[in-house]
Amino acid sequence: MPIVVEKLKHSYMEGSSLAHDALRDIDLTVHDGEFLGLIGHTGSGKSTFVQHLNGLLQPTSGTVTVDGFNMADKKQRVQGRRLVGMVFQYPEYQLFEETVQRDVAYGVKNMGMGEKEALERADEAMALVGLDPVKFRDKSPFELSGGEKRRAALAGIIVMRPKYLVLDEPMAGLDPLGRHAILDTIDSLRETLGCAVVMVSHSMDDMADRAERIAVLAKGRLIRVGTTAEVFGDAKTLIDNGLDVPQVSRLALMLRERGVDVPSTIFDMDEMELALLRLLGKGGEKQ
Amino acid sequence: MIDIENVTFQYEDAVEPALRDVSLHIKKGEFLAVVGHNGSGKSTLARHLNALLLPTNGAVRVEGMNTKDEENTLPIRQKVGIVFQNPDNQIVTTVVEEDVAFGPENIGVPPEEIRKRVDNALLAVGMEEFAARAPHMLSGGQKQRIAIAGMIAMEPEVLVLDEATAMLDPKGRRDILSVVSKLHRKKGITVVMITQYMEEATAADRVAVMSGGRLILCGTPEEVFRETELLRQHRLDVPAMTELKERLNAAGAELPDTILTVEDMADAICRSLLKN
Repeated sequence: MPIVVEKLKHSYMEGSSLAHDALRDIDLTVHDGEFLGLIGHTGSGKSTFVQHLNGLLQPTSGTVTVDGFNMADKKQRVQGRRLVGMVFQYPEYQLFEETVQRDVAYGVKNMGMGEKEALERADEAMALVGLDPVKFRDKSPFELSGGEKRRAALAGIIVMRPKYLVLDEPMAGLDPLGRHAILDTIDSLRETLGCAVVMVSHSMDDMADRAERIAVLAKGRLIRVGTTAEVFGDAKTLIDNGLDVPQVSRLALMLRERGVDVPSTIFDMDEMELALLRLLGKGGEKQ
Repeated sequence: MIDIENVTFQYEDAVEPALRDVSLHIKKGEFLAVVGHNGSGKSTLARHLNALLLPTNGAVRVEGMNTKDEENTLPIRQKVGIVFQNPDNQIVTTVVEEDVAFGPENIGVPPEEIRKRVDNALLAVGMEEFAARAPHMLSGGQKQRIAIAGMIAMEPEVLVLDEATAMLDPKGRRDILSVVSKLHRKKGITVVMITQYMEEATAADRVAVMSGGRLILCGTPEEVFRETELLRQHRLDVPAMTELKERLNAAGAELPDTILTVEDMADAICRSLLKN
């Protein structure tokens, strides 16, 4: 069963003169096991939106259901929330326990799991995010590097075995190496746990690389939803809305403006390589 | 402007040095980008430029003034200003123009002079309309522009940006980059930009590449990004268009080695098609 968002509207400071709609008319379904990318400007409503997925915010109107649980209902919300793991921006600021293992185990202990089992589960989660439990379990979270801290924070969510993993800018502030490592970890989590991933990111090249579907928010409205190829294949719409596009898309648009015949829908480096080789008379037949 | 001579630096309690025998000359008026991974030593190097950190071995001289000499600290910090990563940690007051005035007030600049400097600094970063606003209501990119304005109001000769765009979205990043390029071009300020974004580094006059505490490469962006193999060995990203150029040339295309940006690539493809 999916997460179903229908006619979602969210207004901040409703009823006051400062009221404004952060989200309007959002219809979107998050399917089991998919990798959905969410893009949009700062202030487009991305963070407001993802906070509805685990009931941290309540719709002003419309509904959000997680596997049938209505997130507006207090009792159902508790059930629905267990299915949705939420990793906020800079999650490493939320580490606080004395050891990494205890920090990772915190969530499941809070849910009533016994100490021993919780610590075992924590070791397992650490291994899943690429932190060797033997090496890291007794370290203080504050001894870790930036990338390791972020992994530890991710493990603290994974330990609860969410069916949906929601990540708000998980790569922000990391260097290229750290960014790729987190993306690889997310891919392997999907593979091992089968969880769906909803990821907010500004990095269009990373999105083009990893996401299966992309949803685009602008000024609180959903302006595009489609496969990664559909959304990035229409780079012009993204650019018109002030969004970045993968560099390969920008190259395709620029070449077309100059009368070079490459498909405007190319966003992927491999495809661009083939198209250009064909144009340059270098075959482009390679596998 | 700044001479870094055989600098080695080890943090207290650290097992290994964060900087190993780094030598680099920063020229007056240049725009230098320093790239590298987390832990490569690039931020440690930035903190040496205005005596926030002092070399364990070797020396840093700002216009001849050794940073180790305590009486030089103040004059050095007036010449070299640093803007850090997190804008929220750098804003101290509740009104934008007061925040920009904070630095000059602290060093005893007369009030009428402060007024002038604040107005000019806000104008330089394109935030003049926000003078009376509250900083906490601004976006990350706007806050970072205020932090830069605060530095400009100190009239430094060198502006060091220590991953000042890392926490911003692409638009915020572009804004900061264009503000900094403008300051560099119009006011002749020397800019040292520490960044992990290779695409940002392509806009600089020179690029220095750090890895494992060492300076492994330094040259124009064209010279540095041509060394794709070395960069990959150090697990650094290569600009996307440089990678595409490499792949095309490997298949027999004859594109110039200097391609860094989308514009460069479009130009090269068009030229190559005309020739055929």
